Amino acid sequence: MANMFQLQNIIPQTLRDRPSMMHSGIWGKLVQLNPSECIKITAPSGTGKTTLIHFLYGLRNDYTGHILYQQQSLAQLSGEAIAVWRQQEYSIVFQDLRLFPQLSARENIELNRVLQNPYCLPAAVEEMADELGITHIMQQPVHQCSYGEQQRIAIIRALVQPFNWLLMDEPFSHLDQANTSKAIALIERACKKRNAGMLVTNLDDDCFFNYTSTYHL
Amino acid sequence: MRQLNSILTKLIRNRAGKAKMVMAMVALSAALLLLLISVQLQVNYHQLLNQPNGRDSIADFLVINKQLNDGSMSNTTIADAQVKQLAQQLFVDAVGVLTPSRFKASIESKSSSFPFYTDISFESVGADFIDIPGVEWTWQEQSDYIPIIVPNQFLDFYNFQFSFSQNLPQLSPAILKMLVFKVNIYGPKGAISLNGKIVGFSDRIAALLVPEEFMQWGNKVFASGEKGAVSRVIIKTKDPTNPALSSFLKRNQLTTDNQKMRFSKYRKLVDTVIAISGITGILLLVFALLIFTLMIQLTISSAQSEIVLLVTLGASPKQLSRFLMRQFFPPNVWVIVGSTVVVGILQFLLQQVLSSQQIMLSAWLSAYTVGTALLLGVLVWWVNKISIRKYIG
Repeated sequence: MANMFQLQNIIPQTLRDRPSMMHSGIWGKLVQLNPSECIKITAPSGTGKTTLIHFLYGLRNDYTGHILYQQQSLAQLSGEAIAVWRQQEYSIVFQDLRLFPQLSARENIELNRVLQNPYCLPAAVEEMADELGITHIMQQPVHQCSYGEQQRIAIIRALVQPFNWLLMDEPFSHLDQANTSKAIALIERACKKRNAGMLVTNLDDDCFFNYTSTYHL
Repeated sequence: MRQLNSILTKLIRNRAGKAKMVMAMVALSAALLLLLISVQLQVNYHQLLNQPNGRDSIADFLVINKQLNDGSMSNTTIADAQVKQLAQQLFVDAVGVLTPSRFKASIESKSSSFPFYTDISFESVGADFIDIPGVEWTWQEQSDYIPIIVPNQFLDFYNFQFSFSQNLPQLSPAILKMLVFKVNIYGPKGAISLNGKIVGFSDRIAALLVPEEFMQWGNKVFASGEKGAVSRVIIKTKDPTNPALSSFLKRNQLTTDNQKMRFSKYRKLVDTVIAISGITGILLLVFALLIFTLMIQLTISSAQSEIVLLVTLGASPKQLSRFLMRQFFPPNVWVIVGSTVVVGILQFLLQQVLSSQQIMLSAWLSAYTVGTALLLGVLVWWVNKISIRKYIG
């Protein structure tokens, strides 16, 4: 199938000696993440949630086994090919956000919008900012924003590009209940519009989305 | 694309500093100027040396005759075999035979207000060896007049010596070229008078020159005795200072105009200066390219964390390379275009100055110079591209 992740016996080199590997639902197993699925990965700290997200995003290759996307091994992709996938196939909300502190909130979002042929208009960005309540800080350099504001900037940044998968690593960790609800509604709409799948990691059980599968690391 | 570039400009600034940028630009400008000037001057020399009829003062045409001494008097003939041998030498581009008149002749004024009369002799040479542009260097029996080229030295002799001693007016080249005078030719069957007219003045051959057709006719109709032997030839050579030329002349007991050989030594000096200028230009170019490479390296390494995050977010290496090329290459293009324009202006000014001295050059840059500028542009582009690819990779 086209936009499907296949994880074939993945063992991270940094975690291979840990006893928790034996009981993982992902590590060392054959796992298929089907298109348009809403998947939850849950596990305590230090068991490799961020590592898994980075493996799927093609940021790290320090594992044994294979990760296939569109039947191609992520580890063997060229820099140009992985860039095309990051622009067109999957988007991400990092746990550590990875914003440019010297740029304004708007510039951080705009950068991801114009890296490829823009998927949405600037007006749509303003609507999303309004929905998440960060319109007033759009001109502000990111380093002057609170962590909660930065998290909302990172979420909007992930939603302005085309994607078939949205990878999110503890995306609401610094948001209150009200802002989390707004962000969830926005994300659900964006994924539905694209018919995209999503993969969310979190420390605990949650009911943010209507998950179709849940895996414990 | 504009929005992306504007954001990238904020993230990847040129951290090398304006001073280094200015230094690199100055070095590149100096390098390009020296290189393009060297190429253009070489082309100018080539043009002056090889134009067949151009009136130039530095072409290397040498008149060669036998050394005249007590032993060789009345035996100054250059054999046909020797002329052929001369033509075969690598340092000789062309050989022309100077044919002397073997009949008595005189010229005299047709005007009583400016009377003159003098016995005279002529020499003829092929049209390829004369340096008067725009002259029809030919003659037929029906022609209105015999075209004659006079050495500049003759004119100087008349104007600055003879006219004073004989109380005659000084004559400018323009006035002399308007005069039509009688050319009397004497033969066994009597004398005839033809019209003669000066068509130009030359420094190349110290003789009154007439077209070969006239000389053949005159020698055939009026000369006494057998066909005359060759005693002077003219050669065209690229380098009169070539040791092979002087040793050939010495070996065959020939001699030539030492003054011209001395002049061509100055040309050798100029050639050396051009070579030094070219080498300096190349060294400066290497220096400038090195600074550019270092600037690119410095900019990329100082924006390393931003570049890593850009790639993490999905910026492709090609996108970043394209952006960096836009940052670094356009100033180089301006320097190349500017240097080419400056050399073009210098060439135009040189042409203006030299044309007043009857040295004819093109007012435009040569194709070689423009081609060199383009090649250097490609070289700078390539060095930029390779440096960016290396450090982005």
